[in-house]
Amino acid sequence: MTARKGSSKKSKGKGKGRKRRGAKVKAMEEAKVGVFLSDCGGQIAKILDFEALTNFVKTVQGVTFVARANEFWRGEGLKIIVDAVKTKKVNRVVVAEAVPKISEVAIAKAVEEAGLNPHLVEVLDLKDHCALPHRDTPKEATEKAKAMLLAAIEKARLLEPIEKTEFPAVKSVLVIGGGIAGMQAAEDLADMGFQVHLIEKEPFLGGLAAKAVRFFPTDDCAICIQSPATDLKTVTQTSRKCVYRSGFSEIPNLNILTNAKVVKVEGGPGNFKVTVERKPRYVDEKKCVACDLCTSVCPVEVPDEYNAKLTKRKAIYINKPLVYPPAYAIDAKVCKFHECAKCVEVCPTKAVNLDQKTEHVTLNVGGIIVATGFREYDPSVIKEYHYGEYPDVITHLELARMLDAFGPTNGVPVRPSDRKPAKRIVFVQCVGSRDRRWNPYCSSICCMISLKHATLIKEAYPDTDVTICYIDIRTTGREHEYYYERAREMGVKFVKGRPSEIIHDPATNTLIVEVEDELLRRLMELEADLVVLAAAMVPSEDTKELAQILGVELDQDGFFKEYNAKLRPTETKRRGIFICGGAVFPKDAPTTSLHAHSAAVKAAKFLMNGKITKDLKVAVVNEDYCGNCQFCPVTCPYGAITLEPKGDGHFVAKVSELICEGCGVCVGTCPVGAIELRHLKPSQISAQMKALLSVNGTSKPLVLAFSCSECGHAAVDSSGMAMMSYPANVRVLRVPCTGVIQVQHILEAFKAGAQGVMVVGCKPDGCHYEVGSQKAQKKVEMAKMLLQAYGIEPERLEMFNLVFIEGDKFAEAAKAMTERVERLGLLQLA
Amino acid sequence: MSGEKPLDFTKEITSKLGGETIARCYQCGTCASTCPVTRTTERYNPRQIIRLALLGQRDEVLKGDSIWLCASCYNCQERCPQKVEIADVIYALRNIAIREGNIPAIYTEFANGLMSEGRLAPISKFLEKKRADYGLPPLKPTGVEAIKKILAATGFDKIMFKKEGTPQ
Repeated sequence: MTARKGSSKKSKGKGKGRKRRGAKVKAMEEAKVGVFLSDCGGQIAKILDFEALTNFVKTVQGVTFVARANEFWRGEGLKIIVDAVKTKKVNRVVVAEAVPKISEVAIAKAVEEAGLNPHLVEVLDLKDHCALPHRDTPKEATEKAKAMLLAAIEKARLLEPIEKTEFPAVKSVLVIGGGIAGMQAAEDLADMGFQVHLIEKEPFLGGLAAKAVRFFPTDDCAICIQSPATDLKTVTQTSRKCVYRSGFSEIPNLNILTNAKVVKVEGGPGNFKVTVERKPRYVDEKKCVACDLCTSVCPVEVPDEYNAKLTKRKAIYINKPLVYPPAYAIDAKVCKFHECAKCVEVCPTKAVNLDQKTEHVTLNVGGIIVATGFREYDPSVIKEYHYGEYPDVITHLELARMLDAFGPTNGVPVRPSDRKPAKRIVFVQCVGSRDRRWNPYCSSICCMISLKHATLIKEAYPDTDVTICYIDIRTTGREHEYYYERAREMGVKFVKGRPSEIIHDPATNTLIVEVEDELLRRLMELEADLVVLAAAMVPSEDTKELAQILGVELDQDGFFKEYNAKLRPTETKRRGIFICGGAVFPKDAPTTSLHAHSAAVKAAKFLMNGKITKDLKVAVVNEDYCGNCQFCPVTCPYGAITLEPKGDGHFVAKVSELICEGCGVCVGTCPVGAIELRHLKPSQISAQMKALLSVNGTSKPLVLAFSCSECGHAAVDSSGMAMMSYPANVRVLRVPCTGVIQVQHILEAFKAGAQGVMVVGCKPDGCHYEVGSQKAQKKVEMAKMLLQAYGIEPERLEMFNLVFIEGDKFAEAAKAMTERVERLGLLQLA
Repeated sequence: MSGEKPLDFTKEITSKLGGETIARCYQCGTCASTCPVTRTTERYNPRQIIRLALLGQRDEVLKGDSIWLCASCYNCQERCPQKVEIADVIYALRNIAIREGNIPAIYTEFANGLMSEGRLAPISKFLEKKRADYGLPPLKPTGVEAIKKILAATGFDKIMFKKEGTPQ
């Protein structure tokens, strides 16, 4: 750890010096290229003529040092490179080395430590991209190797140093949503020493969990969290605590704001300015002692939403018993305020203040965690189930309130129509979920909720007749299947079939559930006192609005979209904004907790150093050419580009160096070539292209393959690694993302001598930069039209979407493309 | 299921007008439970027809009488959570069956009436007598030539009156 600190300081110090030196390089210092040829322990020297290659390289302009060894990415070989940089005045490093990517990283690191900017290194792979795939035609392979080396050297001569920059990062995080996910993430971060602001739109923390009473599969209290590290009274930190006695509010660095929501977000990653609107509670949290005198005098009674409207509450109220903060709140929608003011008179601590106003609080935070959860879908739209029309048709959340010993019926499941205990209960699964008419996805937790409620009822009232109508029972979590087993043992009945209608018989006040028992292939009419709908779980209200304020995306189902579910969970495409819990998808409590920990770690990792250090591999705008068009701001997958007024009435694009990921999709989009990548200049692409096509050495027509640095290049790598073979006339030019490719590049390739052009990128929906591969496809289609107009067969151009494991497909494609171009004959350009 | 190719039959159905959505079915049984015909006879169950079709039981589906019992009330289609167009799938299956000569007698009768008299419902003696009682003129075949032309142009006559059991 300390070593790393030391080295980063060192490089920072040298960085400044290099910046000046970098400028000198451009103006005065000539490029002195060192070329290092690894023969992979002699393995590829059996195929490639290394003597010829060495002699060839020596003749190339700018090359001042050439070395050959078994390997160059570690050990003695790496020392040769370092020595050449330190003592032989080599200021551009070209290494032909296998072990893709690993070697590139190792060499760049060593070169940096030797005092040279790591971006002045170009690594090419003669083994996997040349020797192995062309092992049957060694002479042709050697000629291709010359072209590849020439391309690398030509590019290296044009390389420019790229500096590191630091951006400030405020070590403070805003957590939106005070349910179990938000509380867990807030606690984690506060324990790690970050300043945390936790905001909740309701007057009380707890979210959906507070209403759920118990959690499966342990049947323990829903509202139980891990004890904060700061709880001095807890023996071990693994202890669990009810949220109201967890000392949650006493965690240092944790600021809890209830009745609050985000209305504006400005600034960027590491330094957001968030405006939070705080609605008045009309009760001073610091003064209220929760004595309950106010409710005894309040004259306004309304159905209690917290208790599924099964009971009434006053206009001044508190959710019992599991709440934070332990202070009453006034419902502004129904309170008569100064017309009445009885609560003000009776309050012994003068806590009620009817003149409280809405406040706006500005928070400066480095990161934001969204934990806004999910809610139960209102199933009244599904007419055949008559929810909202028949009082005895209820949802799971309503049943959960009944099963709460502190709830509206003190733990007894009753039929709301006459409040008599329900003796026959039917559960209906998949209500509004797995249903293309409403929500096509599986809400994932409803099966377990039904099993939980069914067993809780059977346990307390064994005589109750409980039936669950299901399409599929999904018990995929740990211990979940045992839960299902237990329900069967307790006598819960299961009917495979989705009911088509619920009918009410007014004569007996009985509900009749019509369903086909598919296993018996018999139509059933199940009589019930109470029907419980396992309604879908959908995104919380205001999710759309919040996503818009934060500038993050929602998925097709309306939940917050994770950057990549496998590799970057809890991240959004916008750096510094994280998401977790039910806001991403409906989740059970253990998974929510896990997800919250993940978001907290991501936020901490992002902000822990108080700064964000980044290589400036970004896009830069040439303001002289740029003007008024919207292409790049709209296309940038990261929202890194904005249009800024230039003073003379024109607008020019401005790239945020912090947000830009350096993919180059903007470059591929710009119609006037006004934007370019610092790490891949147009001159470098041209030089590489010309060099790759300068030597053929085969009897076949030259084919140039543009490949992205991600899946596309990996497919090229793997075709060599797996000993696939394809002809040596196919030459690969690597770009960061195929999105960088312009139509002009493709035409240029034909001009430079290519008889065919391949574009090899990621899968359209698997692009590492979201849209690059799709944009490239469009560009290819456009270029095909142009080729046709020029009288060139459009079949000479093709896009391929490949991944690492499809090396065989790359080899096939390269062969097929060669054959196709051979068939078409020689391309004659005027 | 030996000798049958399940995927092929599914593909065949989804390529027909009305049959496109069949593969979405996850066998929840809402259709069967809401069907007025299933309520009255065990010979018809839309869920089972779809199941048999998806399992490639081509002959059982096309040669039985089940698919002809649907009353086209569209209750099932309205309530299907997967938006399988069940009643339309049944129509697609009927169309396949007809092309292969699996035509229930009543449909042949309808077709005959259409071709010979320009009417689906035949003019019965009873009807003629009733008309006479009311002083209405007797019914005559109407527009037969025109209908024949239309039916020939659409290929209906060939489908309907080709030799039975020889698939086209």
